[in-house]
Amino acid sequence: MYSIETKSLTKSFGDLVAVNNISFSVEKGEIFGFLGPNGAGKSTTMMIFTTLLKPTSGKALIAGFDVTKDAKQVRENIGFVQQETTVDEYLTGRENLLLQAKLNHIPKNEINQRIDEVLELIELSDKQDQAVVTYSGGMRKRLDIAGGLLHHPKVLFLDEPTVGLDIQTRRKIWQYIKKIHVEFEMTIFVTTHYMEEADSLCDRIGIMDHGKIQVIDTPENMKNALGNEIISLVVDTNNNHDSFLEELKKIEFIKKINEDNLKLTLFTSNGTEVIPKIFQISSKLDIKINSISLTQPTLDDVFISYTGHEIRDDDSKYNRRREHAKMKRLRQ
Amino acid sequence: MTTIMYDAYTIFWRELKRYKKSRSGVLIRLIQPAIWIIVVGNIFSETQPLIQSVGFEGEYIEFMAPGVIILTAIFTSIFGGVNTLWDRRYGFMNKALTSPISRSAIAIGKMSAISLIAALQASLIIGIALAIGVTFPNPLMIIPIMGIVILFSLGFSGISVTLAATAKSQETFWGMINLLGMPLFMLSPALFPLELLPSWLAVIAKLNPVTYTILLVRELMTGVSEGGVPILLSIGVILAFVIAMVAIASYVFTREVNKPF
Repeated sequence: MYSIETKSLTKSFGDLVAVNNISFSVEKGEIFGFLGPNGAGKSTTMMIFTTLLKPTSGKALIAGFDVTKDAKQVRENIGFVQQETTVDEYLTGRENLLLQAKLNHIPKNEINQRIDEVLELIELSDKQDQAVVTYSGGMRKRLDIAGGLLHHPKVLFLDEPTVGLDIQTRRKIWQYIKKIHVEFEMTIFVTTHYMEEADSLCDRIGIMDHGKIQVIDTPENMKNALGNEIISLVVDTNNNHDSFLEELKKIEFIKKINEDNLKLTLFTSNGTEVIPKIFQISSKLDIKINSISLTQPTLDDVFISYTGHEIRDDDSKYNRRREHAKMKRLRQ
Repeated sequence: MTTIMYDAYTIFWRELKRYKKSRSGVLIRLIQPAIWIIVVGNIFSETQPLIQSVGFEGEYIEFMAPGVIILTAIFTSIFGGVNTLWDRRYGFMNKALTSPISRSAIAIGKMSAISLIAALQASLIIGIALAIGVTFPNPLMIIPIMGIVILFSLGFSGISVTLAATAKSQETFWGMINLLGMPLFMLSPALFPLELLPSWLAVIAKLNPVTYTILLVRELMTGVSEGGVPILLSIGVILAFVIAMVAIASYVFTREVNKPF
């Protein structure tokens, strides 16, 4: 059974189609990254999944329940951590979790133990009785995330969990997410703008733009599909240079070789498989490699390749009032 | 049914926790009614002969004290719904909406918390009234009076939650509140007896649930009944008002929160 499954899911606001006939599924236990530029329809999709919006047409099943027909069952099986921190500042950390526990109908005799458990996980046990107003941004976020998983939901929705946090805190949050994933075997559906984050966290990534899913794959495959890995190497001699180049050109993944005296730059795909082949050839020809490096195109490059070439609408079609109305609706 | 009570209590608990932690708010809410009872009560003290003409023997301040108690209840409860707007803006509402609790439980929890808070504020005003010399012929009457204040405030919190759920902005909300609060207070026998109002105003006042609440509280406090309105009628009007407002608020709230904010 899939944790999330959509069939021709569509949501329109008047003549604006925010989510346009999308069908995809997320497997149980997956960390699924949902990327896309602002206004792509990510938030709307997330709101449909969390029962905050009803789809115009099509279907979305969360943990097997229909978001329209079985909204209550969906709510019982999801955790939702919003982009804004939503903890109550005037309550203590523990009181916030208590509130969350009650909202999610955790049986009374389990509440305290569950709270202790998540407080430990997010390392806030020692601060639990302080008012949240004294917490740093990162601590608030951790508390928010803890609130989302207190009731052990089957699917955890994280909307930009690290936006506005410093890099150390961001990495810390990734660690927590990974820990949660292992410990509670949850399916995690996360939207983010940080490619690095998606790359390090997610099993699979979906890129959405213009209300449609443009591509879904693992981060590795996406980057490989782009095919432009770069291997730079420096050899120590010009002996056998021509036959070395000949042999290299026979490796199927290599697309282009630039040479600058002893330095070679190879444009390739599947670089990690190419490197051992290079070593085989060099040792056969008795050429010593002084240094070698493999740089990979980042997910940023992948993202831009699917969403970025053009500035939204070209000038001739640009209608200020319409754009204004569109942004207003999307921001709601 | 038990689930809805449990859920409403969860929201109620949260609202009261927030109230308890905002001590400045408790004081700020007291300033306006305190000014009414201390300043206006004394400014109008010379009108005693007027109120005596309709059979009220005591000081003017004793006549208007019930009006100010209800004023406190009106304004505390009608402002009370404003945090609905904050909750929607800052995400708590979405958190509650994506949890298994029902929408009407959220509305009911909020309304009960607001009405209790309004009653607490009103009891502080009763304290001020006692301190400046207002007397209770029968001190035990404070119990039914508090009951009425809680009930009445529940109705007004319904108005507040309805408006807050419908309003998309703070400005709209405050505008509506000001449009409603003061006229409802003024078009009642809070400051002067019904008998002294021009007849067209008296007719309007008789359509106002605030009127019946003030008459009832004043009768319990001072023992004088005025305007020929029987106690049971007053209780009936208050009950009908409360039931109607709570029902409308739950319905409107449920409908509105399902729309994007």
